[in-house]
Amino acid sequence: MWWIVGVVAVVVLIATYITWTAARVDRLHARATAAQLALDAHLVRRAAAATELAELLERPELQALARAARDAVPEERELAENDLTRALRALPRPRNSPDLTDVVVASRRVALGRQVHNDLVRDALALRRRRLVRLLGLTRKHPQPRYFDVDDPILDEIMVG
Amino acid sequence: MRIGIVCPYSLNTPGGVQNHVRDLAESLIGLGHTVSVLAPADEDDPLPGYVVPAGRAVPVRYNGSVARLAFGPISATRVRRWLSAGRFDVLHVHEPISPSLSMLAVLYSRAPVVATFHTAMTRSRAIVAAQGLLQLVLEKITARIAVSDLARRVQVEHLDGGAWEIPNGVAVARFAEATPLPGWPGEAGTVGFLGRFTEPRKGFPILLDAYRRVVAHRPGLRLLVAGPGELAELGETGGIPDGVTFLGKVSEQDKARMLQSLDVYVAPNTHGESFGMILTEAMAAGAPVVASDLDAFRRVLDGGRAGELFPVGDAAALAGALDRLLDDPGRRSELAARARQVVAAMDWPVVAERVLEVYATAIEATSGVVADLEDPPRAGSVD
Repeated sequence: MWWIVGVVAVVVLIATYITWTAARVDRLHARATAAQLALDAHLVRRAAAATELAELLERPELQALARAARDAVPEERELAENDLTRALRALPRPRNSPDLTDVVVASRRVALGRQVHNDLVRDALALRRRRLVRLLGLTRKHPQPRYFDVDDPILDEIMVG
Repeated sequence: MRIGIVCPYSLNTPGGVQNHVRDLAESLIGLGHTVSVLAPADEDDPLPGYVVPAGRAVPVRYNGSVARLAFGPISATRVRRWLSAGRFDVLHVHEPISPSLSMLAVLYSRAPVVATFHTAMTRSRAIVAAQGLLQLVLEKITARIAVSDLARRVQVEHLDGGAWEIPNGVAVARFAEATPLPGWPGEAGTVGFLGRFTEPRKGFPILLDAYRRVVAHRPGLRLLVAGPGELAELGETGGIPDGVTFLGKVSEQDKARMLQSLDVYVAPNTHGESFGMILTEAMAAGAPVVASDLDAFRRVLDGGRAGELFPVGDAAALAGALDRLLDDPGRRSELAARARQVVAAMDWPVVAERVLEVYATAIEATSGVVADLEDPPRAGSVD
């Protein structure tokens, strides 16, 4: 008789653990997705700030790069963003002008958004690798999150010197 | 923004984390945010109005010093009550990976969590033993801040994640508005040093040597020294000159007053200080600085424009620099003025704005919505 109670208890415990793990998988994936949406918004904001700066400084090549970054398909987005970062870094001196403030702030927010996004992706991927998660296919409804892999877009140093 | 901050250590004991939390909270309040700080304390402890006591802290030996921690069922209840009463937009915890109020708050929070890591704490045996719990704590943290490059590297190497570096702020007003100690700096001038003068890398003997050279033709010049340590440990064979005054270990308040009592502050360090916090404090107090030409110091001193640099370990060069500065009040005020500009960028309100950016990012990474552009792109600027 006692063994039935034991089996039931074990089954309940396992079921609880699985439910909890499934909720954890959902939560981490939802957060990685949200972070990606936020990062997208900041990339668009940076491209807009760069476009505005390009118009102000009359630099059509910078304007073209900002547009390319904004319109890039997902597979080419990282490269296009790197091109834009390089062009912004290469802006001529003197640099500590208020015209640059928007693009510097937007770049810092991109860098921060990317840092947070990649950390959340790392958490989600670590959970996806767990044997129980793979075995039960708990990630079936979630596409695998991807790191956003670009050069550090921080431009704070161009404001000085 | 409604911000909840958790300090794991009692605010009535001195410490870097406590100072940081207090300065940050007051700066955020100054910027118009609603801030509540939860910290271990008794109900009847004298506390600033924004602090909510979480019960008595138990002393625990940790990291070579005694930390006063609160962790247990009573603390847990208080944490939950504080969280639900506060309805925070963001929860900011400090040092969350030791068992503390911070860790409890992370586990119970429904708001996005930002965590600041202060110490360069590596993966200890205790952490490894509690790996499962630690993973749950780390997983609930949305954004991580490190106060130094070292703390950030520990994150990367030991805790599987990055961190956003925001250095400690300088409470510029506290140093700028302090009054000099009575009787200082005096007619004949005062040179000062603050720190563990018995530690060789602080380079105090170099300053003592330079002081002997300068005082030989400048009778009455005084040297004011503050910091923990015993004179006997210095092993000075020539004895300590008469014009040297040792204050011993000083409180935060007296530190500001001591820095206000100087005509020149000297940092004769022989090895790399990572940041040069004390330099920034001297600069905030308006003391002209002479420092060894180390990378970190050169950076803080704006390549020599916000303070004089002398070759590392060269007492003769230091003596020369002191002579020149003591003779030239114009140059001293020029250096002090440039130094004020440099530290303005490290002032707490400026640092608090950076922390607010991290809060915004954590909230966005939870909702997926990037809201209220403070300065929206003007119409027509994007095509």
